[in-house]
Amino acid sequence: MDTAIEFKDVTYCYPLTKTPAVKNLSFKIEKGKFYGVIGANGSGKTTLCALMRGFAPDFYKGELSGQVLVNGKSTIDYENGELALRIGYVFQNPFNQISGVKDSVFEEIAYGLENLGVEPLEIEERVVTIMEKTDILHLAEKNPFELSGGQQQRVALAAILVLGPDIFVIDEPTSQLDPEGTESIFEIIKAMKKEQKTIILVEHKVDLLAESADEILVMANGELIKKGSTQEVLSDIFLMEQGIQLPQMAILSNKLKQLGIGLPVTPITEAQATEVLQKIIKKKEGIQ
Amino acid sequence: MWIEKFQIKKTNRVAALYPTTKLWIVFFYSVCSLLLSTVNIMGIPLLIIPWFLVLPILATLSGVISQFLKAMKKAAIIAIFIFLVQTFIIPGGDLLFHFGILYIYSDGLHTGVSLSVSILNIAGAFVWLFQTTEMKELSRALEDKGMNYKASYILLSTMQMIDLMGRNSKIIMNAQRARGVETQGNLFVRAKAFFPSMVPLILSAIISSDDRALALSSKGFEIKCKKTHILNVEYSGNETLAMVICIIITSIVAIGRVLLWILP
Ligand SMILES: Nc1ncnc2c1ncn2[C@@H]1O[C@H](COP(=O)(O)OP(=O)(O)OP(=O)(O)O)[C@@H](O)[C@H]1O
Ligand SMILES: [Mg+2]
Repeated sequence: MDTAIEFKDVTYCYPLTKTPAVKNLSFKIEKGKFYGVIGANGSGKTTLCALMRGFAPDFYKGELSGQVLVNGKSTIDYENGELALRIGYVFQNPFNQISGVKDSVFEEIAYGLENLGVEPLEIEERVVTIMEKTDILHLAEKNPFELSGGQQQRVALAAILVLGPDIFVIDEPTSQLDPEGTESIFEIIKAMKKEQKTIILVEHKVDLLAESADEILVMANGELIKKGSTQEVLSDIFLMEQGIQLPQMAILSNKLKQLGIGLPVTPITEAQATEVLQKIIKKKEGIQ
Repeated sequence: MWIEKFQIKKTNRVAALYPTTKLWIVFFYSVCSLLLSTVNIMGIPLLIIPWFLVLPILATLSGVISQFLKAMKKAAIIAIFIFLVQTFIIPGGDLLFHFGILYIYSDGLHTGVSLSVSILNIAGAFVWLFQTTEMKELSRALEDKGMNYKASYILLSTMQMIDLMGRNSKIIMNAQRARGVETQGNLFVRAKAFFPSMVPLILSAIISSDDRALALSSKGFEIKCKKTHILNVEYSGNETLAMVICIIITSIVAIGRVLLWILP
């Protein structure tokens, strides 16, 4: 598999701070894969994203040691704005992403394409397609400032999706969404994955990550304490000691183990749990 | 067609003039006001008073007269206030009237009239411009005429921010009233309630400016290429006529002014 992003021994301090926000990061992000990033508040998830997109150190300044390579080239060597074409970045706070120069959601989503110089007819086509995908076509004529937080989050995501980059860095896109809204964002992200997009998603909702992510990165105190397949990471009970939330099913299986009912594999999704439990129960019935 | 929905359609022929043409009208109107304010009749720049009538006429022709008058009421209060202060405070020149402790000198009356009417004139011209032109049309037209897209962004976002702050400050004011802070009453009481209410607004604007800049960059703001626009601003076809009329009137005013000056 090709590498989309590579961190080579990266340590980064924000300006005027002595403790690094992230330290000793070395890992690769492969093309076409979906990565979930988890970790406690302040563990450096957003900083990690900012480094991938080159906002740190280019915009935030501060001190970077090591290298962040995007498609083999160091982020500090990219021209102004060039990375915007390669990496779509969705911020944690949707309100701050509203351009402030458009008075309808349609125009807001079209704004990035206007900046890229896309012809109006093509803009219309692309914007409508994305609005249908993200289920916000009914908001097209509303003022973006007058949307609910959840609606703003969808608009923020749509405004970046429409630009069509190959890599997406998405920072907690569901923090203000209800369970249904969250599911629908995950549906969108899964659809993006089918289009061979590379996705880095910061998300606290591990149950959903368990069902869709290929790999999980776990951050704690600015360090990458674990990276591996979703199954491997989210069934690692030791992470709970670090204050990392695991999927309900993994917790359940751990409780069962403490009660003396060890499962052959630690399930992380409902489907898996059902399967594993069914097998065990059938076996027991068979014995009796 | 979605794009059609976001175009600005106008039926009135004056209102439909190209935004920069309307900007020129404001410019020529202000130049004439300035020229006329230098003509003194009995020591007072009287000509700018009838000249002000041009604006209501323009507003009527543009079909916005009722909004225009409504907006001008506020400007008029400020103008009257300035007129009174200037007239009664500035000494110098001949003593014209006095009743009781109030003295009016010619210099004061002169400044009072010229300042207050000039304010009405300039404010009125812009009120007309913005009642017939949306900010996004104007900035789009200016961008077409070569204004930098960054300047256009600053112009538009500032206007939207002011609009939003206005709306938010109402929400905050209501919240404060609910907590028992006096927000209604005389000017002083209002000011006392107003300034603290602005603090959270301004703070949140400053704190989020980093994110805003980065979000803009994520939308390709800095990419160097020819930007496109889904909003089209079109010429109505009457722009040349409008400019000719403006230039003729301004020339007449200017020539008249020069003649008055060189004739004994
Ligand atoms: N702009 C900044 N300037 C200085 N320090 C910062 C800045 N942004 C974050 N930090 C610090 O860097 C560390 C990591 O913060 P970061 O925002 O990356 O955490 P996070 O994992 O995204 O947290 P959250 O879950 O709250 O979003 C924190 O200690 C934080 O205080
Ligand atoms: Mg964060």
